[in-house]
Amino acid sequence: MFRQTAARLAMATAGLVVSGAVLAGGHSGACGKVTIAEMSWASAAFLAHIDGIILKEGYGCDVEMVPGDTVPTTTSMAEKGMPDIAPELWANSARVVIDQAVNENRLVKLNPKPITGAGEGWFISGAIAKAHPELKTVDDVLARPDLFPHPEAPSKGAFHTCPAGWGCEIVNTNLFRAFDMEAKGWMPVLPGSGAGLDGSIARAGERDSAWFGYYWAPTTLIGKYGFQPVDWDRSYDAKNWDECIALPEDQCDDPKESSWTVSEVVSLATIDFASKAPVAAEYVQKRAFDLTLLGKYLTYMDANQAAGEDGAIEFLLQEEAIWQQWVTPDAAQKIKAAL
Amino acid sequence: MEFLTEFPALGRRDLRDLRLAIDQSFKNFSREYGEQIEAIFDPLLQFLIGFERLLQSTPWPVFIAVVCGLAWLASRSIRIVIGTAISFYLIGLFGMWEDTMSTVSMIAVSTLLCISVGLPIGVLMSRSDRAQSIVTPILDVMQTIPSFVYLIPVVMLLGIGKVPGLIAVVIYAIPPMIRLTNLGIRLVDSEVLEAADAFGANPWQRLIQVQIPLALPNIFAGVNQTIMMSLAMVVIASMIGVTGLGQPVLKAVSNQYLAMGLFNGMAIVALAIIFDRISQSYGQRLQKFRQNGQ
Repeated sequence: MFRQTAARLAMATAGLVVSGAVLAGGHSGACGKVTIAEMSWASAAFLAHIDGIILKEGYGCDVEMVPGDTVPTTTSMAEKGMPDIAPELWANSARVVIDQAVNENRLVKLNPKPITGAGEGWFISGAIAKAHPELKTVDDVLARPDLFPHPEAPSKGAFHTCPAGWGCEIVNTNLFRAFDMEAKGWMPVLPGSGAGLDGSIARAGERDSAWFGYYWAPTTLIGKYGFQPVDWDRSYDAKNWDECIALPEDQCDDPKESSWTVSEVVSLATIDFASKAPVAAEYVQKRAFDLTLLGKYLTYMDANQAAGEDGAIEFLLQEEAIWQQWVTPDAAQKIKAAL
Repeated sequence: MEFLTEFPALGRRDLRDLRLAIDQSFKNFSREYGEQIEAIFDPLLQFLIGFERLLQSTPWPVFIAVVCGLAWLASRSIRIVIGTAISFYLIGLFGMWEDTMSTVSMIAVSTLLCISVGLPIGVLMSRSDRAQSIVTPILDVMQTIPSFVYLIPVVMLLGIGKVPGLIAVVIYAIPPMIRLTNLGIRLVDSEVLEAADAFGANPWQRLIQVQIPLALPNIFAGVNQTIMMSLAMVVIASMIGVTGLGQPVLKAVSNQYLAMGLFNGMAIVALAIIFDRISQSYGQRLQKFRQNGQ
């Protein structure tokens, strides 16, 4: 086992040296073979195909898509150096592997923030955000339970928590106590399952009705129905979170108000990719979305039941002004010609 | 040859358009009539909430005494009564009292609903062969369609919570009630009916005083099956937000909490056995009474 790993390390180091040599003597046009992780959810697939088209058409890379999911993909990138890029990686669930590989200089967080606003949190429906623009922070929302009547007790406000058994259920239960929401006139709605939670969001979105609760972005549902994140307006205290909020209710005696822990979403790449194609790597560094823009194309994909590739092509056709800022003028010409 | 190996399916684009059109028309329907449909079900929701509150606020000794009293009235068997008391005591001891009350209220309301809707439909089916030929395939669909398929539209229409859960349970649990009512009435001896006619009974009297009483054992078998099937749906209904014993089971499943799953699962089993024994022995007593009377 050890010998295998050692041999692999030696090979990887050799590969680095060789690619460095090629790079030094070669020209920037040759980017070689690049594998991109295409995750199972919509926004990651969309990003993967944008990267794929831009790297292929603009920088002459030989692109291949590799299906994946957070933990297996990260492990494979760290151990085998494949795939080369994971455009949208939720680092929290694979933190140990990533930190170790970054320290050992095998992986690099090429773009530390490809999607601004990505993460978990509390959201309100688009209709209520439009009708009550004053609802910006958690305190604003918590002061108005009357706007979100609970179906089983109309005098109370409905707070959609997390399905039973999910990690976020514990967090939501503790935050419910921390913000003293029961005294403020709130009552949790237990969705029971992911499908139940999705269904309640879709229903509120279709009906333009009030909805307040837990979800995460970027997601098709949030983008499609224009749900708005609620600003926590509070600092995050790691000690309070790790030693109380994130633990089951009976182990958290005194939860304190807190913002949700920051979900680190990064574009992760192998050192190999970053060094062999620095111009292409520069593009990945510059590529950035906000939730509104991403939501627009997730909605497009959903409405047309389209795959990530169709969404990416639509984005490249429609939003030239945006993506041209990410690439070199030369690459922009080539991509335009290819489209 | 290609014609034989490749099924002449609709084109991908046509299929996609078809799916989108169906989704869209359902969404429009839900947008248009969702509020009204919710308003129709509102009394049911209030009843459910009220009944659950009643059960949860009833002191536990009173509840156990009432259930044991019902068990005695129905079965006249001291073993069943003792078993009932012990089961509820254990459920309370293991901290599942409140969830159990939610589940009992859900089962009770769904059974009442199934009886009050299923009995008339069953009677209708028994009186008209045409009604039977229309209703039977519908019942087949209701019993075999995977529940997740109708959970999606129900959630879109009514949201998550008690009422959509109740509807999901009723869809699954009502068929045996209808089928066995129909069967029981059709099995009533034609000679008995002739006798009733000879005594000058009108159709209503014939139904209420002859057919239904004679069909009662079968009808009770239907009630028994309905209760069992409602209990079987408890976990699935909790996936769309029904509180009760199903929620902890779901939690246990997604976190591999073995003991939690086992406790709550056993509580569901205990409820099932209690209800089953009570309703079955009541049905048997009805039958015995009839045999003795003959």
